[in-house]
Amino acid sequence: MLGEFEYLLISAASGLGDQAYSGAIQREIAAATGRRCSIGALYTTIDRLEGKGLVKTWMGDATAQRGGRAKRMVRVTPKGVQAAKSFYDAVLGISRGARWAVKDAGGGS
Amino acid sequence: MRDGGRRAVEFAAQLLDVEEGEAVLGDLAEGGESWWRDLLDISGLIVRRQVLLWKSWRPWLASFGLALPASFLLMGFSLGVTRRFQHTGGMPPLAERILLLGAWAWTGGYVVASLSKRTLWMSVASCFLPCLFCLARFRVPALPSPCLLLFLPPAIWGVWRGSRLSGIKTRTAMLLAAAVTMLTLLLMGEGLPAVNWVLIWPAWYLAATGETSTL
Repeated sequence: MLGEFEYLLISAASGLGDQAYSGAIQREIAAATGRRCSIGALYTTIDRLEGKGLVKTWMGDATAQRGGRAKRMVRVTPKGVQAAKSFYDAVLGISRGARWAVKDAGGGS
Repeated sequence: MRDGGRRAVEFAAQLLDVEEGEAVLGDLAEGGESWWRDLLDISGLIVRRQVLLWKSWRPWLASFGLALPASFLLMGFSLGVTRRFQHTGGMPPLAERILLLGAWAWTGGYVVASLSKRTLWMSVASCFLPCLFCLARFRVPALPSPCLLLFLPPAIWGVWRGSRLSGIKTRTAMLLAAAVTMLTLLLMGEGLPAVNWVLIWPAWYLAATGETSTL
């Protein structure tokens, strides 16, 4: 089962599609959680996910905005999609009876 | 100050793999944070990378299983070679000892570097700290203190080669290991302390992990 940060990273990479690279993923996670994740946490988690075969990375193009530095591109593999879906289903399943989830469901109807 | 800070960030990035350093510097440039925040960020990554490296047995063996104990033994042997040189007053009776000192130090340095290149800084510290300790306490009036460090040039050469080559040919490594073992055996008969046997394992490690030649 994925860890919370691993799930956030895979979800951000999946949402960014072809534009997924380390810097963009970092910004997506910060926007979603309201907390900036460190480069250290980001890069070591990407490595761990790549080791598990859940993402694939490669060096992309350099841009002037980045001072001519190349990007570390990230793509979620089918195995990564499956792992993220399992995590999502587990969170939904376990949250079904939780007060906040019931309240949200009630408020929405 | 700002330029100095940026230079510090770029210097820190050199402690990472080339591609990773590039990507990280790019991400930091996009982020537009202050240089000290970037330095903190990149330092965090370097620390995490080092912690991950130390989860393997290789840096432990290189630093504390080889560099640290070997530096004490090689300093002792260097001292013995210098003493013998003073007594015999010439090279010929010393040839086998000098060869053995060079071979032990070279193979040790080679194996330290090839076992774990990215933690070489710790292996170097594990070798140099005993040297500084012994130099500070060296009290033999008839001998110059630098004689303790006779082993360093071949050891540094070994480290340099080990950090650049992927491996040496099995045949060459086997010959080297056999020669080191024979010389050690020869000098054991002349009163060399038995503890020095541990200095031959790097040569046999090279023989065991050598590359088979593909013609």
